[in-house]
Amino acid sequence: MIPASFEYYSPTTLKEALDFLSSREDVKILAGGQSLVPLMKLRLAKPRTIVDLSRIPDLNYIREQGSRIVLGSMTTYEQIETSALLQAKCPLLPQTAAVVGDVQVRNQGTIGGSLAHADPAGDMPAAILTLAAEMKAIGPNGERWIRAEDFFVGLLTSALEPDEILTEVRVPALNGAKTAYLKAAQRAAGFAVVGVAVCLRLDQNGSCNNLAIGVTGVGDKVYRAEAVEKILLGKRLDANFIEQAAREVTRGVDVIEDINGSKEYRSHLAGVYTVRAVKAAMQA
Amino acid sequence: MAETKYIGKTIPSKEGARHATGRGLYTDDFTLPGMLHAVILRSPHAHARILKVDPQAAREPPGVFTVVTPEEIEKKTHPFKPGRYAAGLKKAIPEYAGAIGKVRYVGEPVAALAARTRGAAEDALELISVEYEPLPAVVDTAEAMRPTAPLLFEELGSNLAWKGSLHYGDVAAAFNQADKVVREHLKIHRYSSTPLEPFACIASFDAASKKLTVWVNAQVPEVIYDALREALGLEDVRVIIPDIGGGFGQKIHLIRKYVVLISLLAIESGRPVKWTEDRSEHMMAAGHSCAQEFDVEAAVKNDGTVLGLKFKEIDDVGGSISTLTIHFTNKLNNLSNTYRTKNIFLEGCSVVTNKCPVIPNRGIGKPGMCFIWERMMDRIAQELDLSPIEVRSINLVQPEEMPYTTPSGNIYDSGDYPALLKRALEKIGYEKLKAEQRREREQGRLLGIGVVIGVEPGGRNAARDMAIFPEMKESPGSGGVNGATIKIEKNGTVTLFLGSPNCGQSHETTTAQVAADILGVDPEHISTSTPFDSDLAPWGVAAANSGNNFHLYDIGAVHGAASRLREKILTLAAHVLNAKSEELAINAGVVQATGSPLKKISFAELGKIAYGNQALMPKGFEAGLQATFYYTFPHGEPNLVPGPEGLVRAQFTFSAGAHVAVVEVDKETGKVHVLRYLIVGDNGAVINPQVVNGQIYGSAAHGISVALGEGFVYNSDGQLLTLTLTDYGKSSTMETPRIEVEHRPSPSPFTTLGQKAAGEGAAIPSPAAIASAVEDALRPLGVRVRELPLSPEAVWKLMQEAVR
Ligand SMILES: Cc1cc2nc3c(=O)[nH]c(=O)nc-3n(C[C@H](O)[C@H](O)[C@H](O)COP(=O)(O)OP(=O)(O)OC[C@H]3O[C@@H](n4cnc5c(N)ncnc54)[C@H](O)[C@@H]3O)c2cc1C
Repeated sequence: MIPASFEYYSPTTLKEALDFLSSREDVKILAGGQSLVPLMKLRLAKPRTIVDLSRIPDLNYIREQGSRIVLGSMTTYEQIETSALLQAKCPLLPQTAAVVGDVQVRNQGTIGGSLAHADPAGDMPAAILTLAAEMKAIGPNGERWIRAEDFFVGLLTSALEPDEILTEVRVPALNGAKTAYLKAAQRAAGFAVVGVAVCLRLDQNGSCNNLAIGVTGVGDKVYRAEAVEKILLGKRLDANFIEQAAREVTRGVDVIEDINGSKEYRSHLAGVYTVRAVKAAMQA
Repeated sequence: MAETKYIGKTIPSKEGARHATGRGLYTDDFTLPGMLHAVILRSPHAHARILKVDPQAAREPPGVFTVVTPEEIEKKTHPFKPGRYAAGLKKAIPEYAGAIGKVRYVGEPVAALAARTRGAAEDALELISVEYEPLPAVVDTAEAMRPTAPLLFEELGSNLAWKGSLHYGDVAAAFNQADKVVREHLKIHRYSSTPLEPFACIASFDAASKKLTVWVNAQVPEVIYDALREALGLEDVRVIIPDIGGGFGQKIHLIRKYVVLISLLAIESGRPVKWTEDRSEHMMAAGHSCAQEFDVEAAVKNDGTVLGLKFKEIDDVGGSISTLTIHFTNKLNNLSNTYRTKNIFLEGCSVVTNKCPVIPNRGIGKPGMCFIWERMMDRIAQELDLSPIEVRSINLVQPEEMPYTTPSGNIYDSGDYPALLKRALEKIGYEKLKAEQRREREQGRLLGIGVVIGVEPGGRNAARDMAIFPEMKESPGSGGVNGATIKIEKNGTVTLFLGSPNCGQSHETTTAQVAADILGVDPEHISTSTPFDSDLAPWGVAAANSGNNFHLYDIGAVHGAASRLREKILTLAAHVLNAKSEELAINAGVVQATGSPLKKISFAELGKIAYGNQALMPKGFEAGLQATFYYTFPHGEPNLVPGPEGLVRAQFTFSAGAHVAVVEVDKETGKVHVLRYLIVGDNGAVINPQVVNGQIYGSAAHGISVALGEGFVYNSDGQLLTLTLTDYGKSSTMETPRIEVEHRPSPSPFTTLGQKAAGEGAAIPSPAAIASAVEDALRPLGVRVRELPLSPEAVWKLMQEAVR
């Protein structure tokens, strides 16, 4: 229960942090510690060096920037959950942040940490993918923007390079799009067995003219349920139709299996939660 | 006792504030000078031969003091004596504190190490190199019993380590007379109680006096005391038990291995050594309840009367022989539950597998026994097209039959089971709920109502297992003994020394209430001496935070000691006041002669005399104001020791409760929502309602969580997949329904104050209540619930299979 010994740095500038990343062996960034510290305590991760981002100023903010909202990577779930700006302009993020873990986890865990960790059952990655957000990474060669669809590479793997720091997340202001995030939570810790994020727009006739569905907990990484989106897009969303379309939610996905759900059950749940999340978004 | 000012009332918990504000003193809070920190090397394999252990590299880093390997454990310690828990073992198999030659479950302790800091110890642990020869893992009892299965214990020649049976009444005749035989196959899974505080211990050895002192959060001092003496060959052993962060049975048995290992490290290093288990260690190796399978047959009449019951049980006891039969033998405690059935046959098979050993956990085999009865009652109702309430009612023991002798020799002290059931139905609004259920079913909602009833035995009889194992060489004793000492200090305050440790059940409060009423003081002025110290405490074999012993033995002992002390106080006061002791009354720590306002004396004044003023003492008066009393159950006969028929009082008092669960099943996901949970209980005369309710809430919450999914899962290689609380799936407060409790006490005619047990009760029927409610919810689909846990996926599968 005590991590293997490591060197700890707590830089006060981004540049300093980047220097540590490129000059040390086996470095890990520490944000809220809600994923990294448990792994270290179980000695499943034994980094030689820890670079703590918490003393670097200005990585923690939520701001409007034209038609977008930008969030510093060290913004906590709690800050997202309670942000009036996000509630008004991008409610999917507060909706998602509100159901992560428990209060302690939400006070401590950050959006940057959650995305970089790329947990296949993470809630925030599903929302970020659904919003087609973009992530800013800063590395030794300067900065680059990574689109959400390119960001989640595989099981616990993001597109970030080991010497890069995720600094900002950029999401569109939604101006009236309807959103919902629902999950079938595991007992106790509350991780998603299946989680579905939905962002949609309906036109005057009630047809769906804009739709994104992000799914977590089902594959080895979060994914967009494109097959479902395709069926529903441009159509009126009546209950039967949604149910039919939702059956396609695992099309082309290698569904995972663990103690919280067999392949069969997870696939079924993914369908159920797709229906529920689409309906919840329509009523939002 | 004339009046009860405190007994029966909720007074604020005396220890609650200490625990809730972080002022408790737990084992891990203690630090001794020069103390080292220990860690345990555990098997990563479910089944393997240990070929070689090389500790050399681990001995080198600075700060590492001592490493003990299997070789040293074998050389420097003795195996434990196969005690009561290993009853039934065909052949003596030496069991040491660590694995010798072979590992038989993931997490089995192999070596131990002590270093200056815990961090250094954990680092060094990685340097011990162990060469294993992995063997095929045996994880399934059916597989394990195949003749070709790999053997866990070669000496036994089979993984079926024990098989035996018992027979009460005339079972064959019952089945001949039956109108119908109802059969069912039932299963309960592995779980635990996951106490907040895992195992912890500190060992300190004084080489000069050869005295070993351990601080340990053990529930039963005797287990530790005997283990240390047996394994280390020591005479002088002192067991100190500070505050305990939850026991539930987890801290009775396997903890002894670790106390021995840590003591060995202390002896070898010449330093005090502390060890605190971490959560994953606790999950993999601290003990699980037993997965049990039952083939059940009930011989019934068309009116629902159960003439006879037969069941064959297969217990998956895990990778040790030291708790072989406990889940089977505990069936004797509630063998006939609340029912009048006279003819019962039971057969047990204990199968060793490459999983964590089983241990006593909240009720041990009793939740399983209640599950058998209550599942069968529902099944009988279905097959005979009767209401489940009717079938239960017709079989209940009636109040006028009390005290009632069960076919296996238990004597139910008191109780009105029909009234409990009736009141539960009334209070839940059963008929209205049934109507609502019918209406809602038409809307497609799956509502279910489960009604069950169960006894909760209390107070252990050490002789029980002789009914099953008459050949037991060493008598395990009989009945139970525990003591208490009470003392008025020189300044008039009262100190109480309990004979057993306390796992957080407010023993300090409850015992103070009893002593306060007898002595005529405010419970505020009574302080309980903590921690438990085997050198000081008046403890006997029943000094166990287990077996639902407290209400019987500890309350009995405190009552006896306080009554004795009262006599002493009155004798001294009568002499000093020149009054007759019959004229004296005690109130708020002042002895007063009735009718003579000036004739009074306080405890403080009496204390001064009793401890210092010989001239004022009556002739022949033993100085001091202290009394000790060792309690044995005065109504232990008949059936205290089993005769040739195997009749035995497995336990001595019988609480009971009717439980009603109202659930809704999400028909899309299989998730079960508990809408209401009601208990109408008989816990005898209640000493402190809030304390008793606390026990009921906790044990009901546990039983419900067990039924709905908490549990251990192994894969086919014997790897445990539920190593953390995240995976184990215990219900949090968020998922736990409000537990509604109503008391309908039938005081025990046998106990000191009419009290009965309360610690395990609600955990015994609650798994059955949930199973019953879920089955009722799924009735439109024709689903039968035979197995726990009812996780969302399990319920979904039941629905899928029914639709197919
Ligand atoms: C009890 C419990 C319950 C939980 N329940 C849920 C749940 O219901 N849903 C859910 O989604 N999650 C849950 N989590 C996980 C939680 O969301 C984590 O907070 C999150 O995954 C990581 O965020 P963090 O800030 O704590 O990151 P850390 O743990 O500090 O870091 C995580 C990883 O990301 C890397 N990293 C962090 N920040 C950056 C950065 N700026 N740039 C590059 N790399 C970076 C780290 O090096 C590390 O590899 C739970 C955790 C706990 C302990």
